[in-house]
Amino acid sequence: MLLLQLLVNGLQLGAIYALTAVGFSLIFGATKIFHVAHGAAFTIAGYLFWWGVATVHLPWPVAALLATVAAVVFGLMMERVVYRPIQRHEASFFTVFIAAFGVQIIVQNLIGMIFGRSFVSVTTSLSRSVEVLPGLFIAPVAVISILVALAFFTVLTLYLARTHMGMAMRALSENPDLVRVFGLDPARVSQYAFAIGSAIVVPGAILTSMTAGLNPAIGAHVMLISLAATIVGGIGSLRGAAYGGMLLGLAENLALWILDPQWSEAVTFVVLFLFIIFKPSGFLGRPLGAK
Amino acid sequence: MRLPRLLAAAAVSMIFAASASAQDTIKIGANLPMSGPNAEYGELFGSAANLAVEHANADKMLSKKLVIQFEDSQALPQHGVVAMNKLVNVEKVPFVLSAFTGVSKAIAPVGDKAKVVSVNGGGIGPDLAELGDYFWNVIPLVNLEIRVLAPYVVKERGFKRVSIVYVDDPAGEAVCKELAENVPRAGGELVAELQIPRNAQQFTSIAAKVREAKPDLVVIASFGAQQAQIIKQLRDNGVSQQLASYSAFSSPSLTQLPEAMGAIFPTQSVDWSAPGLSQRVAKDWKAKTGKEPNAYVANYYNAVMVFVTLAQALEKSGQPITGENLLKQRKANGTFDLVGGKMEFLPNGSVSMPIQINEIDGGVGKLVKAGVMAN
Repeated sequence: MLLLQLLVNGLQLGAIYALTAVGFSLIFGATKIFHVAHGAAFTIAGYLFWWGVATVHLPWPVAALLATVAAVVFGLMMERVVYRPIQRHEASFFTVFIAAFGVQIIVQNLIGMIFGRSFVSVTTSLSRSVEVLPGLFIAPVAVISILVALAFFTVLTLYLARTHMGMAMRALSENPDLVRVFGLDPARVSQYAFAIGSAIVVPGAILTSMTAGLNPAIGAHVMLISLAATIVGGIGSLRGAAYGGMLLGLAENLALWILDPQWSEAVTFVVLFLFIIFKPSGFLGRPLGAK
Repeated sequence: MRLPRLLAAAAVSMIFAASASAQDTIKIGANLPMSGPNAEYGELFGSAANLAVEHANADKMLSKKLVIQFEDSQALPQHGVVAMNKLVNVEKVPFVLSAFTGVSKAIAPVGDKAKVVSVNGGGIGPDLAELGDYFWNVIPLVNLEIRVLAPYVVKERGFKRVSIVYVDDPAGEAVCKELAENVPRAGGELVAELQIPRNAQQFTSIAAKVREAKPDLVVIASFGAQQAQIIKQLRDNGVSQQLASYSAFSSPSLTQLPEAMGAIFPTQSVDWSAPGLSQRVAKDWKAKTGKEPNAYVANYYNAVMVFVTLAQALEKSGQPITGENLLKQRKANGTFDLVGGKMEFLPNGSVSMPIQINEIDGGVGKLVKAGVMAN
């Protein structure tokens, strides 16, 4: 029964990891910007949802909307105020990385100053497990996480495949000049990628506020997982990032079946290293050098 | 040409002003976590130290104004060493407040070499009593806490099967080691030892492992945001057994956590209603923060007051306030009048105090067993 329990826990965690990784992967895939501050969007969304629900007692949908608006505005501001000016001048990878990293730290400190530096969580019966079989505990939030992840991926996949803007986003990563030829503005397409990529962290942030809880420094962990899932899944592939997130969540939990708990986090990086060594293009990424 | 000259003049005057102000103050250092997942502790410890500074300055206990130079350790040893080097070599402070077992063990050699006193009021690893002459503790270490907690939970509460979830850090390992010695001694059994990484945030599967061990009591040995995450996730995932920990459970966010209600933890005994200093600190702390003070407030207030008492004696005898002189004066001083009563250092620079058992009740904790000295 322990194995089944670990599997359920892995699916729940994997769904949350996948939701956060897909946002990062979408932004990176479309714009080639290494958006390290993606974790900050997660932190902002999580804290605003918590503040809305636990402090000012807003209805959940209103708090979720507030979190979404804040995450999208943050993503758009990053694109407009930080990345675009840097790219206009030199577009060095390290300059972008350091700028985004700096913003992540500023957000961490601002959140600490505004909401306090301690652990916060949304208390809800949805995170309370019930024993469905002897020794198998499942919380409603586990089922919700998996369904929400599936719903978001379906909608996002349809959006990217069927809409002009979705196709433009995919095209932007291949050839920005071609996007211009078709009468679209690459800067505008890039803003859409940031808006959607930032919005898609919101469900993960909300679910985390109910399950593991939040602290101002949580963004760094989120970023680490998003990056690992993107590499494991294949850079530029949304489906790959989703599979990567799910694989990492499952590996982290199933490792407890045979290993001591202190190895659970190391397993994530073992998976990452194995992919880097044996399949650097990830699950669904293109082989290096392919055009 | 005018603007550069003006700027140069302003810069020179600022340097002179800073140097004049440095001569008018006595500076001590604080190497505390001000950012990261343990920043809550830094805020608490720093506020308590600042209250002591306010009192010392208001009462004109020293010839010059006392100030604290804060540096951020992030509760990480490598950051702690960088901060300690700055305090020792740049700020030239004779006395540094420290916290966290890992950080304290890392900075002790730096202080020892430079003959700068470090005083810990938050770390609990028993090794902290053996870090040399220049490392002092104003908090009873965890071996003393567990020697009181283990017989209480096993003999008085009847929790025979004990499991522990502990962080892979010197503090977590120290609690586990003490529990492994003291639970069997009290007649109980340690049925599961689950070590977790320091950065781990997901504990649903740890809950499954705890349930599998079927303990009567689950001891959590972590700190900061992580210990709150462990409690919430254990409670959410079917672990309904009694929870316990060491003094780290007295952090304000944890005592307010609904899932932590009823958890038990030991701390040193502090009688805040004792007339004089204890009452004054309790009153001023409540006025400043709106909260009741806890043992950490006493520790960091006391740490600063130990410095003030020693510096006062050195000034009276016309000796400079250096780490070396502070150490000599501590050995000569005997006892100190501090929050909670009289305190005396053991020869190894640590303290022995009565330990009480508390229960989380949404406030600062309900006393469930009055203070006793550890065997």
